[in-house]
Amino acid sequence: MEEPTSSFFNLAVLDTLSQDSLHQILDSYNGFCNATQSLLTGNGDLSVGSDFVSHVHALCKHSLDSLLRDHFLKVLEETFEQNGASKFWRHFDPYAHVAALKKNDDLDIDEDEIQSVLYNALEEISLEKQYQEKCLLMLVHALQSYKDQMSEEMHNFEDERNYLTSKYQWIVSSVLMASLPRHFPVILHWYFKSKLVELSTIMDGEFHDTAFQNKDGMDLDEKGKTCNKVGEMDVDEGYSDHRFSENSRLVKNIGKVVHDLRNLGFTSMAEDAYASAIFLLLKAKVYGLAGDDFRSSVLQSIKGWIQAVPLQFLHALLVYLGDFVSYESTSSGLKSPLAPQPSSCCPGIDTPSEGLVRWKLRLEYFAYETLQDLRIAKLFEIIIDYPESSPAIEDLKLCLEYTGQHSKLVESFISSLRYRLLTAGASTNDILHQYVSTIKALRTIDPAGVFLEAVGEPIKDYLRGRRDTIKCIVTMLTDGPGGNSSSSGNPGDSLLEELNRDEEIQENAGVDDDFNTDDRQAWINAARWQPDPVEADPLKGSRNQRKVDILGMIVGIIGSKDQLVHEYRTMLAEKLLNKSDYDIDSEIRTLELLKIHFGESSLQKCEIMLNDLIGSKRFNTNIKATISQSSQTSDEEEDYAISMDEISATIISSNFWPPIQDEPLNLPEPVEQLLSDYAKRFNEIKTPRKLQWKKSLGTVKLELQFQDREMQFTVAPVQASIIMKFQDQTSWTSKNLAAAIGIPADVLSRRIHFWISKGIIAESQGEDSSDHVYTIVENMVETNKNGGASGSTQELLGGDEEEERSVASVENQLRKEMTVYEKFILGMLTNFGSMALDRIHNTLKMFCIADPPYDKSLQQLQSFLSGLVSEEKLELRDGMYFLKK
Amino acid sequence: MEVRSNPAADYSSGHRRPPAVQSKQPLPSPQPIDTSSVSNRLQKELMALMMSGGDLGVSAFPDGESIFTWIGTIEGGKGTMYEGLSYKLSLRFPLDYPFKPPQVKFETMCFHPNVDQFGNICLDILQDKWSSAYDCRTILLSIQSLLEEPNLESPLNSYAAALWNDKEDYRRMVHKQYFAGEALES
Repeated sequence: MEEPTSSFFNLAVLDTLSQDSLHQILDSYNGFCNATQSLLTGNGDLSVGSDFVSHVHALCKHSLDSLLRDHFLKVLEETFEQNGASKFWRHFDPYAHVAALKKNDDLDIDEDEIQSVLYNALEEISLEKQYQEKCLLMLVHALQSYKDQMSEEMHNFEDERNYLTSKYQWIVSSVLMASLPRHFPVILHWYFKSKLVELSTIMDGEFHDTAFQNKDGMDLDEKGKTCNKVGEMDVDEGYSDHRFSENSRLVKNIGKVVHDLRNLGFTSMAEDAYASAIFLLLKAKVYGLAGDDFRSSVLQSIKGWIQAVPLQFLHALLVYLGDFVSYESTSSGLKSPLAPQPSSCCPGIDTPSEGLVRWKLRLEYFAYETLQDLRIAKLFEIIIDYPESSPAIEDLKLCLEYTGQHSKLVESFISSLRYRLLTAGASTNDILHQYVSTIKALRTIDPAGVFLEAVGEPIKDYLRGRRDTIKCIVTMLTDGPGGNSSSSGNPGDSLLEELNRDEEIQENAGVDDDFNTDDRQAWINAARWQPDPVEADPLKGSRNQRKVDILGMIVGIIGSKDQLVHEYRTMLAEKLLNKSDYDIDSEIRTLELLKIHFGESSLQKCEIMLNDLIGSKRFNTNIKATISQSSQTSDEEEDYAISMDEISATIISSNFWPPIQDEPLNLPEPVEQLLSDYAKRFNEIKTPRKLQWKKSLGTVKLELQFQDREMQFTVAPVQASIIMKFQDQTSWTSKNLAAAIGIPADVLSRRIHFWISKGIIAESQGEDSSDHVYTIVENMVETNKNGGASGSTQELLGGDEEEERSVASVENQLRKEMTVYEKFILGMLTNFGSMALDRIHNTLKMFCIADPPYDKSLQQLQSFLSGLVSEEKLELRDGMYFLKK
Repeated sequence: MEVRSNPAADYSSGHRRPPAVQSKQPLPSPQPIDTSSVSNRLQKELMALMMSGGDLGVSAFPDGESIFTWIGTIEGGKGTMYEGLSYKLSLRFPLDYPFKPPQVKFETMCFHPNVDQFGNICLDILQDKWSSAYDCRTILLSIQSLLEEPNLESPLNSYAAALWNDKEDYRRMVHKQYFAGEALES
């Protein structure tokens, strides 16, 4: 600033200078240069001081003070470069290779060695710098004393000094920065990391000792001068553990390093280094605490740890630095945007400093984010053990509230779903159970169900492509706890409880409605309105209408409740037909619950089915009562005679039941007789209605008596008929037996397998290769080898019967419908050659009015047709369908 | 079961169908109920025909919106001179079907002693020997077997009748006419 004016001035007065004064100036300048040189390189020799001062004075007389300053600073810079910086860096040369390593790699260097190297280097350069500062002060004093002599007015000594020191500070840091080797930050980072680990082990012990309540404040140094209240920490004064002085010593060491670094202009680098070290430590801590255990909440202990370890450390560090900060406010110009400015923390204040609070927020955010990432990555597992893992879900919820990164959750969860759940290997039941758990778990995190919708979409899409989805859903709906063991036996997964819950909700909803009629309440509700989260899809309605309703979402998979009801009806029919005791209490209950959800009218048929059962029970007792009054059946057939008491019929109104599969079957004569008697009686009582038997359905309880044993079975009528044939004749060929029972031979061989597996009938090859001979096994001894099966006195229907169902399944019904369509389509294409999709659709609508009439949509037809194309029955060219030749 | 369920369907379709049918048919039926029972019968025949499938080489399907006009397909029987050829026919059912036989014509040119150049067929069951027990399927099967076993005594196409015994020339004529007709069509 001064330079232009003075040079101008100098030029003007140059002519006026006498030879003498010119000599004087040159002498003084040479003297000044030599003095400066010897002063700066003189290794603390200040003897040239007086010389130096007089030269300065002489030059100042000629207003050459700016020249002085410039020269001095230049020499200073050169000296620092030679003596300070290069020497400083030389200390670290042996570690040059670490620059290549990553920050979190372990360094295979001796800790103590690098530590002492760092200490020594810092010590040395600090000494050098102190000395140079002293020299600088000398110049300042010399200039000052001259000015004091010249004029009486007070010069601002501070200004001069500040100007020069800041200039010097700039020189130091720019020299160092310019020559900064790449490995230095790594070394710093490593140093802080190892120190912090050391510190945290000390603190950890303390942390565990004092749990969460009693946080110990830190005496910063032996004097015990500071005692701060930090955040929620209670400070205990006079804590004088040995461990404690240990850690305060540690903090002091670190503080000194940080302070030295800061003096050298490495403020931001130092802060980066310890901040990254702290974050690394925190991350490790979070990982260590959270791990794979989802059954406990870790958030609280992580927060506690943040309070106990890093914040204590930072607090101590900031306070320690605070003592020195006031001397070098100049360095505050250099700070990293990430790091809070520690120097703003004045020493000895009683409230947590702003810097510390900022640190706390940063650390907590980081912890939340780390934990959240960890949990999101494991969300799939968490949801698998959902009810047990709810603490982890709660943690995640809190984290997400803090970080707001819900979209991350959605993305990551969807991808893990696709990868792990929605694969061909997963059973539909498992997928559904996981879906239900997902719904329940995400309901906690996000009551509005916005994210659930996003997450649920892929599952829904996938399940729609599976054939047995509806069946599984209905099984889940209807099988209460302790129900069918095939539904993987997890009672918590049953949707029945959801049905119950729903009932309660409906009741509550009624109450809510009453409230809503109140204007005031409506106003309150309106005032409480909040916009949907930004991630919400605006097309999907607002959260007011959205209630997370598991049943609703499950039904949403199927698309329409009609399909679900249809499947339910089929399964109900199956279940009812297999009942022998008319006990339908649980079915009635389920039906009532379903009615609440799906509406009365859609379940009317099911209700009629249940009523049939009730009616059957009544009629059955009725008919038995009349029988007992009438004469007993004649005694001549007493061997085979079965009294009417033994039979209970399920009388169904077949119009309301799903199609029932009936196989022709010849029952044994006495049974046949009994059935027709029963039917006759029915006709007498209920004229004009007639009873038609479905002979292959039902269950028969049998007792088989052999020479050496008695056995009881509950079997299907076919099996009973088979075994009864052996009553008269101990050996049958398969052809004859099939003819006698009136079933095809292949069916017979399937059915008779039940008895063979029980060891009651033996199979042997007949003379004809296609004919088998079945023989009854009278003596148990022969079959002891498979005696395990016969040990139990009562067997349920054979396991091989599982796929045999008395009611045509929905799939089969659909397939049957589709075969009709297929034939029509093939027929029309035979005659018309080629047809477009909508023409096929219209033609089917017009002419396929059989039972059931064609009622599919254009899309359904199209997918059906493309199925036929892939079966190579049809061809599709230019939008026209052809027969494949 | 079926017999009981169908009358109900009849009534419902009976009310809807007649206007459409009348507008399509050249002769308006005096009794709409009859028409609906006819269409009902045709409907059932169609269903039966579709369910039996095209495995016998015969098929037919209503052409357009009316169930009284069908288009039929007959494939020449295996081992006959018509093997590998498929003939299109048109079937017009009268309103008093099945008491009167349908009008059946070849739409594809067919070289055959009992088929004239316009495709008219001389087949007893389609004229005086008609019985209401016949249905679409039996008609088509009869025509299919007629191809193999012509009635040479009352030929419509005497050239074909004369050529019948010369298998080689006959086959050539069959193919010539068939492909000429096909070329004409396309």
